[in-house]
Amino acid sequence: MNSTRAWMVIAAAFLVALVLPHFLPPGLSELATRLSTLILVAVSWNMMANAGLISLGHSGFWGLGAYTAALLANAVHMPFWLTIVPAMILGGGFGVLLAYITGRLRGLFFAISTLAMAEALRVIALMVPKLTGGAEGLFVFDEIRPGRETMTSFALCLAVATVAISYFLSKSRFQYALRAMRDSESAVQMLGVNPARFRMGVTALSGAIASCAGVISAWYTGYLDPGAAFDMKITISAQIAPLFGGLYTVSGPVIGAAAIMTLSELTRIYFGYSAGVGLLVYGVILVFGVLFMPSGVVGLYGRWRNRSKRRGALAEGRP
Amino acid sequence: MVGLLLQILADALLLGGVYTLMAIGLSLAFGVTRIINFAHGDVVMYGAYGAFFAFAGLNIDPLLSLPMVAILGGIGGYLLFKMTLDRILNDISINQVLLTFGLGLVLQNVAVILWTGDERSTTPSYAFDSWLFSDDIVIAKGRVIAFVIAVLFVIMLLAWLRWSELGRATRAVSQNQAAASLMGINVRAMYGLSFALSSAFGAATGAIMSFLLPITPFMGFPIMVKAFAIIILGGMDSVIGTVLGAFFLAIAETAIAYLVPQGIGWAEGVAFFLMVLMLIARPAGILGTAGRDA
Repeated sequence: MNSTRAWMVIAAAFLVALVLPHFLPPGLSELATRLSTLILVAVSWNMMANAGLISLGHSGFWGLGAYTAALLANAVHMPFWLTIVPAMILGGGFGVLLAYITGRLRGLFFAISTLAMAEALRVIALMVPKLTGGAEGLFVFDEIRPGRETMTSFALCLAVATVAISYFLSKSRFQYALRAMRDSESAVQMLGVNPARFRMGVTALSGAIASCAGVISAWYTGYLDPGAAFDMKITISAQIAPLFGGLYTVSGPVIGAAAIMTLSELTRIYFGYSAGVGLLVYGVILVFGVLFMPSGVVGLYGRWRNRSKRRGALAEGRP
Repeated sequence: MVGLLLQILADALLLGGVYTLMAIGLSLAFGVTRIINFAHGDVVMYGAYGAFFAFAGLNIDPLLSLPMVAILGGIGGYLLFKMTLDRILNDISINQVLLTFGLGLVLQNVAVILWTGDERSTTPSYAFDSWLFSDDIVIAKGRVIAFVIAVLFVIMLLAWLRWSELGRATRAVSQNQAAASLMGINVRAMYGLSFALSSAFGAATGAIMSFLLPITPFMGFPIMVKAFAIIILGGMDSVIGTVLGAFFLAIAETAIAYLVPQGIGWAEGVAFFLMVLMLIARPAGILGTAGRDA
C-alpha cells in the first residue's frame, strides 16, 4: 500500500466513523464504542510488545485517563473532546515514568512493574475519596455529556487515528529500532541506537493512547469507580486481542479486537452472565495462542496464502 | 506506647511468616527457570480449596491434610509444566509471561465455575484462638502456626538445596545453565522438578491460608502480587533474600496500618511503592543477582 492509498483509506475510515453512528441502533452503537476502546488498548499494548515490553498494567493507563476526564468534567466542565489532551499528557507522562523507573530492567521486571503500577493507582483512587469518590465511585457531570451518536463517532475516530498512527509507525525507521530492541537491547545499543530513548518514546505513545480509551469509557458510561476503572480485565483483553489477531502487526490487534468482541458476545448469549465463563475463554485463548499459533490469525492467513501461492505455481509448472 | 510497639513488632513478625510462605515457591521456580509463574497465586488458591474440602467433607484438620495437598499440588504443577511451559522454554520471555498469565486465568475461572465466588474457610479451633499478653498484646494462634511452618519450610528448602544431590544440581542450574548442562545435569528435568516443588510449596501455603483468609477463586491474585513485591524486594533468586523481603514488607505494612490514619487501606499499597523504590535503587533486590539479564 503506497502512501496516497493509505491516506485515502484513512480518510474513508474517518468518514465512516463520522457518519455510521447516526444509523446504528443503540445496541450496535454501544458495541461499536466498546470495540473502539478495545482497539485503542490492543493497538497500544501491541506497540509496547513490539519493543519487547510486555505490559500487565494497561488498566492503569485506562483508569488514569478515565479519572482525568471525569474529574476535569466535574471541576471545570471541560468538554469531552478537550479532556483527551490532559488525559493523554498524563498517560504519556506515566508511560515515561514507567520507562524511567524500569530503565535498566527488561522483560519480567517491566511486566511486574506495570502490574504494580496499575494496582498502586487503584489503591490511590480508593484511598483519596475526597477527590475520586473512593469506593462509592464518581458520576460524570451529566449536563455536559454528549449524545450517544457523538460519543460513538468520537470513539471510532480515535480508533481510526490510532490504527493510522500504528500503520505509519510500522513504516518508519522507529519500527526497525523497536523490532531490534525486542530481540536484543544490548545489540541495538552496540549499533548506535539509544534503547532508553526509544523505550520512553514507545511507552509514552502507548500510555497516551491507552488513556484515551479510559476517557471514552468515562464519558460514555458516565460513572466510574476504582474497581471498574482499574479492572484487570482491561489488561487481559488488551493482550489477548493482539495475540489472537497477530502480535507485532498493524492489522492483528484490530482483527483480534473484533474477534474477541464477537467471542465475548457469543459466550454471553450462550452462557448468560454466569460468572467465569468469559474469562475462562480468554485464558484458554491465551494458552493455546501462545502454544499453537504464536503469530495469530494474521500469521495463519499469511501461511495459508503462501501455501496456496506455491500450489498455484506448481500447477502452472513454474518452479 | 511500648505496648503498641510490641504489638506492631509481633504482628509484623507473624505477617512476615505468612508472606514468606506466599513467596518462597515463586522464588524457587524463578531462581532455576528464570520464568515468573503468574499462576502461582492460583496454585495457592487450589491448595486452599483442597484443604477446605478435606476439612468440610472428611473432617481432616488443614494441618494434617497439608502434606497430601502439597503432594497433589506438586504433581499438578509438574503436569502443567510438562504440558505447557516445557514446549516454549526457548521462546522469548513475552510468551512465557503470557502463557503463565493465561494459565492463571484458566485455573481461576475453572474454580469460579466449579465452586462459585462464595467465601469459604476452614474452621479448626485454633483459627479463632489467640493469646493475650500483659493485657494489651494479642497474638493470633493461627498466625503463629503459619510462622512455625514457614520456618520449617525455609529450613527444609535450604537443607535440601545444600546437601541433597538434586538440590545441588538445582543450584548449579540456577547459577549457570550451560555449565550445569556440561556437567551432565539434565537441565529440563531440573526445571520440571523446581516447578513441581514450587507448586507443592504453593499448595501447602494454600492449606495454611485456608484458616487465615477467606477462600475464594479470586484470592490468588492479591497473593501473587504480594509475592512479586517480596521477591523483587529480597532478590528474585535467593531463598534468604525472599525471607528478608517478606519481613521487610511485613514490617512496613504493619507499621503503616497502625500508625497512619486509615492505614489499613494504605497498607495495601505499600508493597507497590516499596517495589518501585527498590527497582530504582537496587533492581537486583537485597540479596539477588538477577538484575540485569532477567
